[in-house]
Amino acid sequence: MSEESPLEIAERALALAGPDMQVMVVRERSLMSRYARSAPTQATAIDDTSVDILCLRDGQTAVASTNRLNDDDLRATAARAHAAARAAARSGPGTHPGPASCSAVRSHDGFDADTATLDPGRAAAALSAAFEIAAEHGLEAFGVWTAGDVQTAIASSTGLRPHDRVSDAFMKVVCRDADGRSGYAVGTATAASSIDPAALARRAAQKVTAQALTELGPGCYPVVLEPEAVGLLLEFLGDLAHNGRAHAEGRGALSGRLGSPVAAALIDLHDAPLTARTLPRAFDMEGVAKAPLALIERGVAVNVVHDLRSAALAGDGARSTGHAGLPGGAPWGPLPTNLALAGGAAADAAELASTIERGIYVTRLWYVNAVREKETLLTGMTRDGTFLIEDGRITRPLRDVRFTDSVLRLLEATEALTTGRRLVSEGEFYGRRFAHGVLCPALRADGFRVTGATTG
Amino acid sequence: MTDPALQLLTEAIAAAPSRCSYVEARHVETDGQDVLVRNGAVHGVDSVSGSGVGVRLRVGGGWGFAATRDVTARAIEGAIARALAIAESQPTAPTAPLTAVEPARGHWTCASEIDPLAVSLEDKLELLFAAEALLRGDPRIVRSDAECSSRRVRTAFVSSEGAACTQERVECGASIAVIAVDGDELQVRSYPSAHGGSGACAGWEHVLSFELAAHAPRVAAEAIELLSAPPCPSGRTTVVLDGDQLALQIHESIGHALELDRMLLGEAAYAGTSWVKAHDLGGLRYGSDALNITADATLPGGLGSFGWDDEGVAATRTPLIKAGILCGALSDRQSAAAIGLLRSGGCARADGFARQPIVRMTNVSIEPGEAGTLADLIADTGDGLYLDTNRSWSIDDRRLQFQFATEVAREIRGGELGRLLRNPSYAGITPRFWSGMDAVCSAPEWRLRGLGNCGKGEPGQMMRVSHGAAPARFRDVEVGVA
Repeated sequence: MSEESPLEIAERALALAGPDMQVMVVRERSLMSRYARSAPTQATAIDDTSVDILCLRDGQTAVASTNRLNDDDLRATAARAHAAARAAARSGPGTHPGPASCSAVRSHDGFDADTATLDPGRAAAALSAAFEIAAEHGLEAFGVWTAGDVQTAIASSTGLRPHDRVSDAFMKVVCRDADGRSGYAVGTATAASSIDPAALARRAAQKVTAQALTELGPGCYPVVLEPEAVGLLLEFLGDLAHNGRAHAEGRGALSGRLGSPVAAALIDLHDAPLTARTLPRAFDMEGVAKAPLALIERGVAVNVVHDLRSAALAGDGARSTGHAGLPGGAPWGPLPTNLALAGGAAADAAELASTIERGIYVTRLWYVNAVREKETLLTGMTRDGTFLIEDGRITRPLRDVRFTDSVLRLLEATEALTTGRRLVSEGEFYGRRFAHGVLCPALRADGFRVTGATTG
Repeated sequence: MTDPALQLLTEAIAAAPSRCSYVEARHVETDGQDVLVRNGAVHGVDSVSGSGVGVRLRVGGGWGFAATRDVTARAIEGAIARALAIAESQPTAPTAPLTAVEPARGHWTCASEIDPLAVSLEDKLELLFAAEALLRGDPRIVRSDAECSSRRVRTAFVSSEGAACTQERVECGASIAVIAVDGDELQVRSYPSAHGGSGACAGWEHVLSFELAAHAPRVAAEAIELLSAPPCPSGRTTVVLDGDQLALQIHESIGHALELDRMLLGEAAYAGTSWVKAHDLGGLRYGSDALNITADATLPGGLGSFGWDDEGVAATRTPLIKAGILCGALSDRQSAAAIGLLRSGGCARADGFARQPIVRMTNVSIEPGEAGTLADLIADTGDGLYLDTNRSWSIDDRRLQFQFATEVAREIRGGELGRLLRNPSYAGITPRFWSGMDAVCSAPEWRLRGLGNCGKGEPGQMMRVSHGAAPARFRDVEVGVA
């Protein structure tokens, strides 16, 4: 007997649930292998299916979830959603405008059947390749390899029936010497075969030099940020500036600034959910079809993203752009999940550095957090490959520095971008697996604000 | 053995192939409900009820873990086969020893008076609406939130070393928060804690003790006042941290730094390492003589309290720092054995059935001092800053260089609290900062503060921990850094 598909489960649950309901079913199968000191440490295989039943009543939403798929449990879950929505409705009308209307979802190339086999042998081979390259450089390898197969289906009383299947693969390699100097490289794609473990390990190993670490004092410096650093900053920008809920509430960084220049003219930022080089998605968690959306065009802020509730709050004809993070809309608001920053004219990061007399080269950022949200002011550390740029060349490794700077200010001060782009991701999978990344180039900006440094 | 989950797991691992040198299985059943009232309306009521089994086993030096939502003998057998295939496919690794453990037997439950999941939704909404209404009124308040969470987790654990135990934890928490905006200025204020409230392993009586509605007018008024308050000055000064901010300071710059897996480089690629080395145990000066830190999984009410950790090691109390000298670390069976300890520190914890146990904090607390009440400490301080409620945090991957921002600062002038200051921040280097601590308030000011968002592990695990803290004073701190 073949296994019941997520859409079949969603339809069965909807039939048991009754009217005014949306059912979302997510099936995750994944494998993750961690390693440290060139030896495997933890390996985790997950097979889970979750059912979220959303009840909409008088603008109120209630979601009940379970991973027990028998009829009795699905019926009980629906009853919990019903009861909660009824109780909420007694407090007065809610703010949800009602379920999405049916819209055709577009196809994408985000699934690779070979990756979905989740072959532990492939994971082992990837680890072995990283160990071998690290050993060739007299280093130890640390990191993770993972692959996932996630199916999502929605069935609603209003006739929605979208379903989607995506695969993702990610590998991180940190090469480290006995003194703690480290280099970093990551790869992410819809297909595991697109990731070259040995190439990643080489890139990471090349960042570990035997030179002594140089200290850099607080100040503002020209900077070259590798795509991994750029991607993390853009993810924060997506939340602080392009979150439609924050914008509608007047607390977003672009409040009152849509239509105005907010970045250098060479900045073109889009949400590109159907682009093959990102990790594509067909629809959001309210069943709204995803489509490309310009966020910043030639430096001018043009759009924020919406779910159904934030669009209703924004008014003025705003519509959901397909960015609901949870059924009924996430409490934190809608976020872009397929950011893509257009590339520029520089051949590579070395060319970006070539015009800098004295500056910083940053491989990645770490433990970044917002300090003042409306200013997009962040703080965080550099990590796993920070270098001094002198007379146009990357010369010496730096001790990691703390930066405290605004993302929008950095984009305003951006002078050049590489032509080539990488799909970058932190490979973090808290809760239900939702792979996402940012497609972006390396960039050069002026005035990167260093506010401290770690010590020996 | 009457617990059906325990029976099922026991039979399943008994059938595991003999080439497995160790097998454990954990059944986790979770029920929870989160309620959020925002800007005068219910924003959402989310409830979850789920279960599953995670199996971890070892073949030679290789570990494998597989999780399934399907709680049947056949599915668990499949999970064992999957974990076995993963373990056997791993690149060759030496077999790391595990510390010995007395097999966990019996049942543990945390104390609670009022089951938070039995409290009606109507009662929860009434409590939240009453508080949230008092947050609104000024048009500059663009967001007002009142939220509560309730959760019950039942766990059954068996191992091939004879463990067979069950546990039941009940947790709840609640908070209120506002965001105020005036032009480009944005300020936040929350109570009793930022980032979603101060949870506890306790019943609904814990939520009622917060008296959210009583604090709501002050929270709203302070957010509005902050919009036009003078900015926090830059420089070096004396700082008094409130218990909430001190709890996060302990969490980030002591708790994580003393995780033994980090010291041994096991987390170097993700969570990071530690500035502390295993050989520092017993000799390193971490801070001043006033610094006494303990990890205690037996504390009533702690989110890090349990009967046994997720390797079946009995809950224990471990001194980590005594009079400023490092004397212990947070460990699981493998990390403890790696440095020659005879027993695990009992800190292996897993986030649900689909994650494997890793080294986590339990309840890592600063012991109370002798500085009296907060008012006594302020009076004794002369001039400085009182920093209250975390707003932002960041620390390097060795847990050494940190920068925090709080929601609010108050001037301390002549031993008295003065005007409000906006956008306060401070930075430091861990051992220097803790060496500057010269006073901790006394026991009546000490209480457990729950944190529900401690992230670690791959795939990511969100852990709930508590920190006991009382306000404390730090000399020569760099402030106004952001």
